[in-house]
Amino acid sequence: MNNTGITKNDHLRARQMLALADAAQLPAADRAWLESHLEACDSCRAFAQDAGDLVRALRSIPVAADRTLVAATQMRVRLRARELRQRDERLWLVGVSCVVVTLTAALTNLACWRGFTWLVERTHVSAATWPAAFVALFIVPALAASVLLLAKGTHLAEHNR
Amino acid sequence: MVDEKSEIAHGLRRRDPDLLDRLIEQYQHRLLRYLLSLTRNRATAEDLFQETWIRVLERGHQYDGKHEFSTWLFSVSRHLVIDFFRRKQPASLNGLLEDEDKPMDPPASGQPSAFDLVAHRELSERIAVGLDHVAAEYREALVLRFQEGLSLEEISVVTGAPLGTVKSRVYRGLSALQPLLKGIRA
Repeated sequence: MNNTGITKNDHLRARQMLALADAAQLPAADRAWLESHLEACDSCRAFAQDAGDLVRALRSIPVAADRTLVAATQMRVRLRARELRQRDERLWLVGVSCVVVTLTAALTNLACWRGFTWLVERTHVSAATWPAAFVALFIVPALAASVLLLAKGTHLAEHNR
Repeated sequence: MVDEKSEIAHGLRRRDPDLLDRLIEQYQHRLLRYLLSLTRNRATAEDLFQETWIRVLERGHQYDGKHEFSTWLFSVSRHLVIDFFRRKQPASLNGLLEDEDKPMDPPASGQPSAFDLVAHRELSERIAVGLDHVAAEYREALVLRFQEGLSLEEISVVTGAPLGTVKSRVYRGLSALQPLLKGIRA
């Protein structure tokens, strides 16, 4: 503390107020304290002037985007927007296809189930056997395809080694 | 009545190209100035300017309309800058302080007020060069606070830094630039 009663913390507080806030936004009590401090403190008054000059200088540094950059950006954005729209449309089609396939599969299963039931009644196959045959009918093609793809993959892997 | 932020959020969700055209026009100078302050290179800043708007188009649905659009825009561009420098060299934004091969390019064109340009010309030029030697995080805080007029809270959102850190950066950045004034007034 010096002989004016101002401490280092007072200087720091005043400078932070000056740097961080517009004087008009400060609460009335803080503003009054700051004004009285600035009246008594030459160094903080100089800091206030410097800070004001710096802020004005910062605001007047001229930087501008040129017309070509803006036009090129707008064109790129439009092209990308079109790509995204087309991708969304394709995804929508894939989604619809999935729904149609699922519905068709469900209806086919139902028809096959009824067909099996009818066949079982005619051929008197035991009730324990025919559900297994029904499941096999659906699984065997998938298993066969898996085995073929696996074999092909193994063959390619060995070929590339 | 729908406010502007909600309108922008709604338009971005629809990827409305007319809205994006308007936003590019509206925020062109502010965004480029911010990118220049981070990259210190006009060509890089212009590349990232375009990338930012592509990212805005692609991730527009993430803008919730609660904050100012500019805050979100700066946040998007900041992430792109960080990604860019990570690709260029594995360093954080703070690590750019030692990146000495990219002096700040001279400004491309003038501000509207000719009087301001004349009155502050020497100081502005000195500050523009001086900014180049200020730590990147301080420079960013100064640009966001005084050039873009963001509040301290908004800067905190953009940079992801706590409010106290933002205050410290603004204060220290301003203090770091202060010696430049002495040379002019002497």
